[in-house]
Amino acid sequence: MTATEWRPGLRPTPAILLGGLLGGAATSAGIALTATSGWLVVRASERPVILTLLAAIVAVRAFGMVRPFFRYLERLVSHDAALADLADQRASVYAALVPLTPARLGRRSRSRVLTGVVDDLTDVVEAQVRVTVPVLSSAIAAVVATALAAWFAPAVGLVLAGLVAVVALDCALAWRVESGSQDALLAARAEVARLADLVARQAGELRALGAGAAALGRLDTAHGTVRRAVRRQSHGRATVAALLPIGTAAATVAAAWLVDPAEVGAPVAALLVLLPVAVGDALAPLVDAMRALARAQGSGRRVTSLLDQEPAVHDPARPSAAPALPGAGVRLEQATAAWTGGEDALRATDLHVTPGRHVAVVGPNGSGKSTLLAVLARALDVRTGRHTVDGTDVRARALADVRRDIAVVDDEPHVFATTVAENLRLARPGCDDDALRRALTLAGLHAWADALPDGLDTRLGTGGRGLSGGERTRLGVARAVLADRRLVLLDEPTAHLDHATATAVLDDVLDAVRDRSVVLLSHRPENLDRMAAVLDLGDAPSPPPKE
Amino acid sequence: MTPFDPRLLTTAPRARRPVAWLAAVGVLTGAAAVATAFPLAALVVALVEGSSLRTPALWLAGLLGLRAGLGWVAERVAAWAGVEVTAALRTVLLAHWLAAPAEQRPDPDRGATLAAQGVAAVEPYAARFLPALVSGAVVPVLAVGALVVVDPVSALVVVLTLPLLPAFAALIGAATRDETERRWQALSSLAGHFVDVMRGLPTLVGYGRAERQVEVVREVSARHRRATMRTLRLAFMSSAALELLASISVAIVAVTVGLRLTHGTVGLEPGLLAILLAPEAYWPIRRVGAEFHAAADGAQAVADVLAEVAPAPAPPVDLPAPTSPASHGAAGTAGVLLRGVTYTYPGASTPVLRGVDLVAGQGLTVLTGPSGAGKSTVLELAAGLRTPTSGRVAAGPAHLVSQRPFLPAGTVRDALRLGNDAEDPALWHALRRVGLDGVVARLPGALAAPIGDDGTGLSAGQRSRLALARALLSSDPVLLVDEPTAHLDDEARALVHALLVELAARRTVLAVTHDPDLADLADGHAVLGGDLEEARR
Repeated sequence: MTATEWRPGLRPTPAILLGGLLGGAATSAGIALTATSGWLVVRASERPVILTLLAAIVAVRAFGMVRPFFRYLERLVSHDAALADLADQRASVYAALVPLTPARLGRRSRSRVLTGVVDDLTDVVEAQVRVTVPVLSSAIAAVVATALAAWFAPAVGLVLAGLVAVVALDCALAWRVESGSQDALLAARAEVARLADLVARQAGELRALGAGAAALGRLDTAHGTVRRAVRRQSHGRATVAALLPIGTAAATVAAAWLVDPAEVGAPVAALLVLLPVAVGDALAPLVDAMRALARAQGSGRRVTSLLDQEPAVHDPARPSAAPALPGAGVRLEQATAAWTGGEDALRATDLHVTPGRHVAVVGPNGSGKSTLLAVLARALDVRTGRHTVDGTDVRARALADVRRDIAVVDDEPHVFATTVAENLRLARPGCDDDALRRALTLAGLHAWADALPDGLDTRLGTGGRGLSGGERTRLGVARAVLADRRLVLLDEPTAHLDHATATAVLDDVLDAVRDRSVVLLSHRPENLDRMAAVLDLGDAPSPPPKE
Repeated sequence: MTPFDPRLLTTAPRARRPVAWLAAVGVLTGAAAVATAFPLAALVVALVEGSSLRTPALWLAGLLGLRAGLGWVAERVAAWAGVEVTAALRTVLLAHWLAAPAEQRPDPDRGATLAAQGVAAVEPYAARFLPALVSGAVVPVLAVGALVVVDPVSALVVVLTLPLLPAFAALIGAATRDETERRWQALSSLAGHFVDVMRGLPTLVGYGRAERQVEVVREVSARHRRATMRTLRLAFMSSAALELLASISVAIVAVTVGLRLTHGTVGLEPGLLAILLAPEAYWPIRRVGAEFHAAADGAQAVADVLAEVAPAPAPPVDLPAPTSPASHGAAGTAGVLLRGVTYTYPGASTPVLRGVDLVAGQGLTVLTGPSGAGKSTVLELAAGLRTPTSGRVAAGPAHLVSQRPFLPAGTVRDALRLGNDAEDPALWHALRRVGLDGVVARLPGALAAPIGDDGTGLSAGQRSRLALARALLSSDPVLLVDEPTAHLDDEARALVHALLVELAARRTVLAVTHDPDLADLADGHAVLGGDLEEARR
């Protein structure tokens, strides 16, 4: 699957075009309300027979009433179109992300990357409502107003065309300001958010070290960076804001000078002099649209660069059917691997695991532990060397087939916002409650499950019951046990737990997967005595860690 | 949630100046907007009457030029105020949490969300909503005031119709409140679905369940669309109703002015002024409503922060014994003293510590006991991070090395200098004492070598020795260490043992340990009993 369906552009759909038309009608009605009011008042001051004013009175009332009506329709139509587009884009981006998961989502904090995609996608789709529709509406209203003025007095038509050109220039300037400042601002704000998150979470630890003041000092520095970036941006924004009234003033004075009441009549002259102010007011929101445009373009680029990657694993078009040596286990021979084209993150490594044989992999970060795990999980191809399962090169077999035998338990298994049963059942669709309970018991969650208010139907995740770190890890293990996978990869499952809990959890986990092939990644020395072998990747000099 | 809580200015005094500037610039901008109507009307009148355009044109150009200048200033002030108010609020909040014991802090997830994303929403609140609020309060008053002078009849029309706007808004709000609340729950769970399956994507891929989620995503997003549109239709309808009300009111002004002009009961210039001024009375109020919708998150965050840092309610009077967190760091105290200390975790039903007595003076005291007996809790109480439920804790200024010592993402130097301002030679000296100097010297960049969150890139043993080196650099007379040798090999263990003994010659060292060799070296030995409860995370 490729990212061809992903459209980060602002190409309007027919519904968005309709929204733009309706918005144009609403904006034009607003301009017309001011203009006809001016005409009405000046005409009335000439004291004509009241009947001759009736048409104008009706027009003023009508413009006053159709503007909110068209605005309402425009908002309904454009929001509905954007939400429909959002549904499509979400599905296609999701589909495009599947083959890139997990290896292409970054080495760490994948859930942050994925949350970022959600926000970026919303920005891109919202641009239809915040950019495309206002630009269309303003363009229509500008054309209508200019044409109207040109019909009465060509010179004033030119003046209005000039005003529209000034607004367009102002918009271009606004777009430049926003595009040029957003990266620096995003980075500065992200640093503040990171520090604030850290201080809020680690307030106790920081206090234990007497480092509270130092932490606040660093936060101050980060705020200072934001302050400077905002100041630079606001300089540009202020210039943009100042340009519009100047353009309006020039256009109004020019219109007053060029119009000849003797030729067009006093009421029309009034109408023509009031038009520039009305047009200026109507087009002012375009500047905000440029902010949304710059943001959407930045978001679109981020999503595109994420989706524009090749999958890290090869899925053969014509896979070989049966493994050569059933039961031969997983074997790496002189295997190397790299995340990108650059240096090998995993240097030539040999490893052999068979059912019941548990192997620990240790070594400092940068020694290739997580790369080795990605290879074993079929998330990353080996670059050189061999990776075989049951005697067959994994690259000859269908990706889904190989992965069907593998379960990964990491230190932050995702808990879905649904019931306990559904959270487990995703590992083995259709299994009965007894199987779920057995898996929970094996993972050491027996007492926890018994204490749940609604049993297996208790809701977890956002808006549901919270889980402690140990409980989450055990839930991940329960999934792996339920899925009945032959190879279980434990990716520092206890990294976020304290010593006592970590020991207890790991003990239960190793019992639960006793008869499987197991590879355990660890920073800690605990439980290593239970392993059949320990592979230390830190033995040889290692390449420097890369992010 | 109120549009503006004045406690913001007393809680975060740094926010006062920018907010005052916002108000001043807002008033001036409003006055200039109202004033522009006068030369504009005069210009039209001069044109119609064939008199000189020069004076009104110059006035108009001058006033619009002034508005351009004010717009420039307003943009800068708004940006400045947004940053300042946000920074002030965030600093006050985090300083409060840094000073508060653990029981008075919210859970880490909620706290981090408020301090990072929550407070970030205050920036648009201060930069966009507050200026709108000022002009919403100022411009209608100025416009009506000008109308009273220029054309009292039109002023009457506006004064009679203007209150309909908020009244109408309140009426719509009341009529749709139940409906809105009923839908809110469903809407937020539908909106959360995509985030949930996105964050869970690696898990779903791992179990081969991702492809079938694509259709679920499409289907749930379609449901989300329908539910959102139902809610939006209501919101758009009410805002259209308000706009219609304002539009009709302006049209009434225009038509009555027109009719009175034909009767000659009003002049052209006042008539023109009336139709130019009337809209100025309505749109600022509608804008406040629209901007408040967008700034609601920020207003909520302001309310949350103020609630968080508001002085804590007085402690209940029926506490069994006076607690004395005040004796922390008291002059002259250089040891640790716990008298009859009981501690219950917030939300727990049974205490983790019951009537604990402990005295540790200068020298090495070890604290042993089964897992879950509350040993780490004793250290946190001694460090002043927790307040005893009952009993008394007294301790000198203390440095705590916890089991998972905090190492910030940054350089080795950053990690070592948390809580002290030692220079490089002192850092190297401390590293040598814990046997890490060789390891650090081999890192690319040595002291400037980057380490990740929680010290990733270092082994667990290296992390705990780095934390011990940091403890060496601290000048606090009390050193509290939690399982200092848990991750170490025999050689490093011996090094740490010797180090703790040496430190104990000058300081009070209280160590929680399972290590019998360390216990043998100690001057004092306290054993914590307690039930074997499930170990706390």
